[in-house]
Amino acid sequence: MIRFTLNGQPAEIAPDAMLLATLRENIGATGTKAGCEIGRCGACTVLCDGAPMNACLLMGWQIEGSEITTIEGIGTLAAGAVLIRAMEIENGFQCGYCAPGVMMSLTGLLSRDPAPSDAGLEEALEGNICRCTGYHSILRGARLARKMLKDETT
Amino acid sequence: MRISRPETLAEAEALIAGGGVPVAGGSGFQLEFSQGAVAPAHYVRIGHLLPMGIYREIDGLCIGAGTPLEEIRQAGLPLLSEACRDVAAPNIRRLATLGGNLAWGKGCLIPALIALDATVETREGEVNILDYLAEPKGIVLYLTLRPLARQTWRKIGLRQAFTASIIASAGAMTLERGKITAVRLAVGGGATPPQRLQTVEDWLIGQTPEAVDRDILRERLEQAISAPDCAFRSARYRKRVAAAALSAGLFGLPERHAIRPVSRPKATIPPELTELSRADGGARWHTRPDMPAKIRGELTYLTDRRSPDMLVGRILRAGRPHARILSIDTAKAEALDGVAAVVTHRDIKGLNGFGILFQDQPALCADKVRYTGDPVAAVAAVDAETAARALALIEVIYEDLPVVTSVEAALAEESPAVHERGNLVTEVIHDKGDLAAGWAEAVHVVEDTYVTPRQMHGFMETEGGWAAPEGEGLVVCVGGQHGARDRMQLSRILALPEDKLRVITSPTGGAFGGKDELTVQPALALLAQKSGRPVRLHLSRAESVEAGIKRNPMWLRMKTGCDARGRIVAQEVEVLSDSGAYASLSPGVLETAMEHVVGPYEVGNFHARGRLAYTNNGIGGAFRGFGANQMTFAIECQIDRLAEKVGLDPIAMRRLNLRRPGSPGVLGQKVAPSERLIEMLDAAGASPLWRGGETGPKEFGPKEFGAEEMRSEEIGPEEIAGVGMALNYQGNGLGTIPEDEADFALALKGGKIEARCGLDEIGQGMVASLHAAISTRLGCGRDDVSAIFGDTKRAPDSGSTTASRGGYVVWRGVEETAPGFTAALLERASELLHRPIEELAIVPGGIGEARLNQPKPVLSFAELGEIAPVQAHYAFPKSDYFKGNARFIFAFGATLARVAVNRITGALRILDLEMHTAAGPVIDMASYLGQMEGGLVQGVGFTLTEDMPMVKGRPVAKNFDTYMMPGVRDVPGTMRVTAHEGLDPGDPFGPRGAGELGIGAVTPAIANAVADAIGRWPVVTPFPPEMILDLMEAAR
Ligand code: FES
Ligand code: FES
Repeated sequence: MIRFTLNGQPAEIAPDAMLLATLRENIGATGTKAGCEIGRCGACTVLCDGAPMNACLLMGWQIEGSEITTIEGIGTLAAGAVLIRAMEIENGFQCGYCAPGVMMSLTGLLSRDPAPSDAGLEEALEGNICRCTGYHSILRGARLARKMLKDETT
Repeated sequence: MRISRPETLAEAEALIAGGGVPVAGGSGFQLEFSQGAVAPAHYVRIGHLLPMGIYREIDGLCIGAGTPLEEIRQAGLPLLSEACRDVAAPNIRRLATLGGNLAWGKGCLIPALIALDATVETREGEVNILDYLAEPKGIVLYLTLRPLARQTWRKIGLRQAFTASIIASAGAMTLERGKITAVRLAVGGGATPPQRLQTVEDWLIGQTPEAVDRDILRERLEQAISAPDCAFRSARYRKRVAAAALSAGLFGLPERHAIRPVSRPKATIPPELTELSRADGGARWHTRPDMPAKIRGELTYLTDRRSPDMLVGRILRAGRPHARILSIDTAKAEALDGVAAVVTHRDIKGLNGFGILFQDQPALCADKVRYTGDPVAAVAAVDAETAARALALIEVIYEDLPVVTSVEAALAEESPAVHERGNLVTEVIHDKGDLAAGWAEAVHVVEDTYVTPRQMHGFMETEGGWAAPEGEGLVVCVGGQHGARDRMQLSRILALPEDKLRVITSPTGGAFGGKDELTVQPALALLAQKSGRPVRLHLSRAESVEAGIKRNPMWLRMKTGCDARGRIVAQEVEVLSDSGAYASLSPGVLETAMEHVVGPYEVGNFHARGRLAYTNNGIGGAFRGFGANQMTFAIECQIDRLAEKVGLDPIAMRRLNLRRPGSPGVLGQKVAPSERLIEMLDAAGASPLWRGGETGPKEFGPKEFGAEEMRSEEIGPEEIAGVGMALNYQGNGLGTIPEDEADFALALKGGKIEARCGLDEIGQGMVASLHAAISTRLGCGRDDVSAIFGDTKRAPDSGSTTASRGGYVVWRGVEETAPGFTAALLERASELLHRPIEELAIVPGGIGEARLNQPKPVLSFAELGEIAPVQAHYAFPKSDYFKGNARFIFAFGATLARVAVNRITGALRILDLEMHTAAGPVIDMASYLGQMEGGLVQGVGFTLTEDMPMVKGRPVAKNFDTYMMPGVRDVPGTMRVTAHEGLDPGDPFGPRGAGELGIGAVTPAIANAVADAIGRWPVVTPFPPEMILDLMEAAR
């Protein structure tokens, strides 16, 4: 078995098992969603050592010793906590099924760069499909989070 | 699977020679598996052995093969950084390596590497990239690139970003003393094999760029490129756009041809409009009650349920479009360890059929399969792997039947019958006036056939949920749109009384009509019943794509004539619709299309016929818009095309033909008051987008917090922009024929006002609307409300969550119950407080003083105790016409689009969208805005990128790699949505439906914008870029 860290706790995965399936089926951590299982929708986005990645493309052997943060752990990240507040205010989502992935993509970006350009925000979401919102409410939430992060530091 | 991690390259090579498959980032394998590749038995990890990093050397740029594409993307390298941006989304770029993309052989970076004349270094030595591609040998270690002075890169895909490649082209060129001394041209990517275009390079060498004849260059390039046809794009298109891109990239853009834009005489005076945005909404903007849990990933969807004794279910699909079942043998599957139940049609005690309109769809097929996704058997096992193995052990013997692949074929005399009753499902005919007399008056005539796609709902949560024995019956929890009806259908199949069945249908991760019909419930219920244990079942995307309901493709032939002044005098319409293998709600969709056959216009003489046929092309049924948006596409384009012939501007043309408020509907039926077509036309005519024309207004879009700036989107030098508009006219409710009623109740329990409403929360904001409507009507706070919904045991039957009826159901339920409930609350408070009722009022948190301005509760809701449900039963308002299905209530709107047409690729970019709506008072602003924006963008998908081509009854797209829903780069730069909220004095019908307005008229608005830009109307959706290029050429 391969060891990794899941939201700060030790966890295990078989080397040839898909992280997404391990989370949802074995561990029962269903916050991370499955939308396509081929890396094309971003519903399964998690942070792998801080970088957004598709849990459906990560096999056990790829995450040996890595720190995986899922939506369940988003609140522990400073940028994640701000993003949550911003998305609530802007009503970023509708059905919410894409939300865990979108939130992790944006948290990964904002943790690295708290002041991305509009184009940078969009690029970070290129891999996340949302069928309900048409993305604008998500982008409004992301821009508000950027503003809140800026206001915090000034 | 064996996974080895060799310590050295030599060891790795030995393992690979022994049959191991090398893997570095591993980003491409899942896609390959989904396309049918078998997972290798042995992976050899090489990522850790590969050099990483970018080095600038004298003879070029040297890049380690293990360098992630994201690092190259950020490095600002000529050509290659841009190419890496276009390969995939950032998540994948972080995983994927340069060496991996090359070794895969189909990567769209390859043309860029060829144009950079890459040298590939392996342990065997150095070779040119072309030699490597011809005979890939050894593990790639380094690539050395040799950029030239000028480079060009373009990937053409199926949407703006993160798309499969149709063709990618790369070029590089150096001039010395004004002459071309070095040039490299390459294409490849996706189905296009990588190739260097040597003959064209030879022709260019020595020429001065100014002297290069562009037409000859493009011709030579097109001849040199070898490219295939595929279901999405033709070889001709591939060659044409790659040639145009290379030519434009190295030698500049072709000249622009001026088009006469649509005239926009004088601005109209807009009606009163509410801007829908947080900045403009102020106190009307609230956080939706379901938002906090969704944002934190804390909402448990029905497919998220886990429990230790829960089995995993899977469904065996036919996998063939049309066949007779000779036998089904489940013995081996049943004998497999870990299998708890296998069910087939033999386990069905009741009616083996379902369908909202008629029950032609088997729960599990018995004698025949009619589409590839037809379910034949299902298993429940201890885990997913065992369930998958059990499926493979079920032996079904089929006898294939001829496949009915199109509506025309289905309706031909000699066609094989999909169902015994024949292939014609329904025919709808509407006539009015004297058509011959109408044509006699016609001076201008426009005739065309509009084609609309087999759009997929693409809800992010695929069909699924769980079921378990409960008491003497079952609880079945699957995302749906009408629990009570699902229960009725299940009861019929299981031969179990309805009171033994509890059906939970919320929350759902999106539905859009695609979960209105039963999906996996029959299989799941049968498995839970037979195994006596809880079972969960969640379709993979691939299974959902194959098996799920889609929008009915339609062909709308339309001939419309007007007199010299522009009055429409005659129209003939012939519609064909593909029902797929079963009826579901497809007859309703056709009926609705036909009911909108003249749009919101007065047309004295028309004849319209629509036919719906069974085929073996998947299954069709309900999808947001429900036929109306398809018909609106045709009508609203016809109007613009006639306007052009008459010489009227589009607004004047519409005004001339608009139906008079209060006049009978299309079928002669009585319709509700508060018609707002004139107001919507005025809103459009006054719109800055409409008036701004090609360049767009300087300031556009709602005010926003945190935005960099607020402006309409700019166009690039290779684009031509245009603006178009279309009217929305959408019937609400189920119509006169089906039962359309609702139960609703308000109760007080545990300190909360319980709203008991059987509708579903599918993302649209039904729960937010309940909170909002109750708080507005009663005076309590929004958080004093608790919604009980989507559960047949706890909530009453409020009808289906479809047809834009939810807003009305919520509002009317509150209106009906509020007086009784308020009285009960105040009476109770008066008893407890010993105060007269008149002195008391409901306030946020409880009961307060009636006369105070900012009342604080003197008694909390919790202190009031419990109040028994105050119930209401009511009908959705209906018209008086029963010869066919007719709507009484309509919602109105005007949709405007500013669109850029790319002169090189024929692709469209939606720059700005604007939508004015008139659907009565807005109950919850955020939800309403969300419905409009989401609907608009779903409509953008319908118009530009989404289709499910079928080949011999099999879908070509299998997953989101080729089924292209809009991504974040495909949506308009700005969207502005307004609401004209007022109703006529005395109008008793409250808010109109918002769910389907957004998608209703965006397609014709875009089509009309394209015509404004290039002078011709595209009529096939999604607009093929090739057709756009042809139209542009034809317009010259
Ligand atoms: S489930 Fe991983 S990207 Fe779609
Ligand atoms: S909110 Fe439903 S998919 Fe994004």
